[in-house]
This record gives sequence, C-alpha cells and structure tokens, in this order.
Amino acid sequence: MFVRDKMVTELVMVSPQDTILGTRRVMIEKQIRHMPVVEDGRLVGIVTDRDIRDAMPSLLFEEGIEPQVCSEIADHVIADIMTRNPITISVAHTLQDALLIMYHKKVGAFPVVDEEGHLLGIISIRDILKAFINLLNIEEPGTLLCVVVEEKPGQMKKVVDVISGENIGLGSVLVARYWDEDHRALFPYLLTCNVATVKRKLMDLGFELIEPMDMLLDQVPVNEKE
Amino acid sequence: MDEMGKTGLVCDKRCLLHDTGDHHPESSGRLRAVYARLEGSGLAAQLVQIEAQPANQRWIEAVHNIHYIRKFEDACLYGLPDFEHPDNVICRDSYDAALLSAGGVLEAVDAVMSGQLDRVFCALRPPGHHAERDKSMGFCYFNNVAIAARYLQQRHGVEKVAIIDFDVHHGNGIQHIFEDDPTVLYCSLHEHPSFAWPGTGRDFEEGTGAGEGFTCNVPVLPGRGDKEYRVAVETRIKPKVQAFQPEFLLVAMGFDAHVDDLMADIQLTTEGFDFLSRTLVELAECCTGGRLISVLEGGYNPQTLPGLVERHLRILAGLEK
Repeated sequence: MFVRDKMVTELVMVSPQDTILGTRRVMIEKQIRHMPVVEDGRLVGIVTDRDIRDAMPSLLFEEGIEPQVCSEIADHVIADIMTRNPITISVAHTLQDALLIMYHKKVGAFPVVDEEGHLLGIISIRDILKAFINLLNIEEPGTLLCVVVEEKPGQMKKVVDVISGENIGLGSVLVARYWDEDHRALFPYLLTCNVATVKRKLMDLGFELIEPMDMLLDQVPVNEKE
Repeated sequence: MDEMGKTGLVCDKRCLLHDTGDHHPESSGRLRAVYARLEGSGLAAQLVQIEAQPANQRWIEAVHNIHYIRKFEDACLYGLPDFEHPDNVICRDSYDAALLSAGGVLEAVDAVMSGQLDRVFCALRPPGHHAERDKSMGFCYFNNVAIAARYLQQRHGVEKVAIIDFDVHHGNGIQHIFEDDPTVLYCSLHEHPSFAWPGTGRDFEEGTGAGEGFTCNVPVLPGRGDKEYRVAVETRIKPKVQAFQPEFLLVAMGFDAHVDDLMADIQLTTEGFDFLSRTLVELAECCTGGRLISVLEGGYNPQTLPGLVERHLRILAGLEK
C-alpha cells in the first residue's frame, strides 16, 4: 500500500543541458511520458511528453519550414522547457495519498525522493491504476453482487458470513455509503460463477439484491434499428 | 436427401460417473435428464448413435500443458474433493469422464470427416470451453471444442475452423488458446463481462498478433434476449463467419442463456434458441458443405435443458424447419 512498493526504480533521466530533440527520441523509444531532470545527483525538475510537444513545431506546418525550425529547436535544451521544483512524494506515502494528490493537483506522475531530495524512483498514474486493479481483484473471474443494507452496525458481517458459509472466495467488497437516506450498498465481488445459493440465502435473510438488469432496463436504450 | 440419416448423436452414460454431488449446478442429473428425454421421445433412435472413446492423450496435449494434465489426473486419483478452485468439484472418475467427453467429440469429427455424417451433437460432460491451456475453470477440465479444432487441423488436414460459442458465459479458454491464431475463428455471444462471470470477452478483444481480427466477442447486457441476439447474429456473427470461409464449423452450445436458467441474467426464449440453431444450419450449408459439430457446454435447469437440447437436435437433423 506504500509508494515504495509500486514505484518504478529503473529510472531514465535527463540533465538540464540535454537537447530537446534528443530527449524526445528517448521518450519515444522507451515509451515513457515523464522524465526526472537531475543535476549533480539532485532532482531539479521534471519534463513530460507534453512539454516536448509544446516545444515542437505544429504537425500542420508545411514541410519546407520544418528543417529550419528544427535547427532552431536543436539549440534549445531541457532547462528551457522543464518544470522546476516538481511536486514530489516520499516512499512512505501511501497509494491513497498518491491518488488524492494526483487528483487534486492534476499531475500524472511524481518523482519519489528521500529527505535529502535524492531521487529514488518515479510513480505514475499507470502504477496506481495497476495497484488498484490488483486490490479490486477485477482481473480474477468473479461475479459482482449488489446488496442493499440498512444503515446500522453488523450488516456487513451478516453478508460476509453468508458468503464464507458457502466457502466462496471474496475478491473485494466495495461500499457505496450513500445509496439512499437509510441505506448503503455493498458490492461483494465473489470469486465464483456459482452464486445462486448465496443470492437465495441473502434474500432469505431479508436483504435486497439489486439485479443489474433492474438498474439497466430503464437507463440503457434498446437498439432502435431492430 | 435423408436428413435424419446424416445426423449423429454422441452420448455416453460413463459421463454420468463424474459426480459433483447433489447441490452442484453441473450435475450428472442434468445430463441424465437429457438422455432420458432423447430416448423417451424417440429422437435418439432416429439418429446415428456414436459411442464415445477416451481421447488419446496426444490430442489433449495439442491444447493442454502436460503438467496440467498430470496434475488433474493426480487430483482425481488422490480423491480430492475439488481441483484448483472450489467450483470445480471432482471425484475419482472425473479424469476418465473428461477424457471421454473430449474423446466423444473426436469420434464425431472422424464420423463427419469420413463422410458418414454431416452433423453431430455431442451430449457429454464435463464441459470444456472455460478450460485454459494450463488451468481448469468453471467446471471445465479439458477444452473439448479446442481439442476438436486442433484434431481437425492436425489429424484431418483441415486448415480453417470456425468456432461459435452460444454459452451465456464467455469461453475464455477457447479464446485464449486461439487468440493469436488466424486459422481458427472464435465468435462468442455472452452476457456482458462487467456483469457476468468470467469477466472476459469484451468487444474490443479481437485477437492478438497474427490472430488479430479472428476473435469476435458480442457481449449482451443482462435482461436482454431474443431481439438483441438476433441483431448480434445478423450484424456481427454471420458476416464474420462468412467472410472467414471456414472449412468446418464447431459450436460450443450452452443453453444457459435461457430465461429459465438462473446461472445468468439473459432472457433468451425457446424461440430464440430455435433461431440460433437455424442460423448454425444456415452457416454450415453456406460455408462448410453442411458440416458442423455441436458440443454441449452449459445449461443448468434440469427441467428445461432436455427440451432445449431436443429442439436443437431436431433442427440440426432437419426434422424442424
């Protein structure tokens, strides 16, 4: 759950004096979009594929102009386009921290540094997505249930007891805390295709199960061309 | 042409020995009910009956990893209650039943390729389309349809095989086995993976590498049925198969999309299934010289499954129009 576990440590870095065109080539080759800028072993900035693109001539430029413009660009270096003092994150931050910072600050990746500002790695939105895909277990085959429960203690335990009573693996349980005024909704992801008995037992206990088709029928238009 | 004389049926009571207990959806009871119906109605007697033989291991190995095969055999020998997942309930006879289930389809292939028959339905279990190269899944151990496709190619020299999968669950095993292979087309109609197990088979999964364009997934939202299936077949499945021009058609025929089958939320009616069966005959007639083999996959309501199988078989045999 910590940044340390999910960050990428094999870093591709640039220095402020590297050329823009050379850096662009590396980004394309290595298929990366964020590169930390390092001088004398210290992090001084970050450069992204967007910075590079902003510095390049428009795609719409006539062909004849390009070589001339490119030679002008060839004189410029990363220091001219990088973002100085980028937002950084520490190894001890959690993935949730990273998620919240990325969302609120609208940033796609952070260099990970220690207390002295030494660069240890980089973590991007893709790394966070992978971590949450693993946590939600959505790449494991399973069936998603939707159980509406009253807003009172002990409800989740009853649902989970039914599931464990059937010896079924639980991939994850998501909770929508505000389903309506008095209810919340639980979304257990069951690692089985055989859910008929669990559903029946939950209904026998008085829980309301929302079937996906009940949610969908009035919301997704049927193909008009039939 | 005597249609009935050209249609075969593979049944084998030894498949009933794969005992999953009284509470499991994929039970001996469901197949026993099918056999009782086919015999009781007299339909079985009108068809050419083919006996299943255990598949030769080399054909299982054409699809599955040898270590996986050994692991499955060992689990049965040791009398373990399930294999690799609590869903996959086994007994000591399950390995033999799985060899028979796969082998029965291979017998059907031989019968059709020899010219003796045009069409065969294989009423066997355990089913196969979820079984991966090295993993069992969803009550499936050996991927019967995939094994038959490779057998057609390697033993009988057939180049292009089309597989259509009407089981309500995506046939992840078949798709993954042939995902990068342009010689086998895989088309599947199934409940949308965001709502149904096993969560694969999205419409943007179209094959990989050389196999890109040779996988066709049509997910169907829960609650939908006949209309949606008709549109999917006419606009996606039929054109894809016709463009592929297969030499042979294999069908992973599950009946669990039926409205009365509670394993999934698709509401296909009996008439909807008739449409699917007729589509298969049509495709076989236009593309493969009438040749097709249909293999039982899912279908878990023992009250309705026998009737659905009977109707499917009657349409394949040309007894219904």
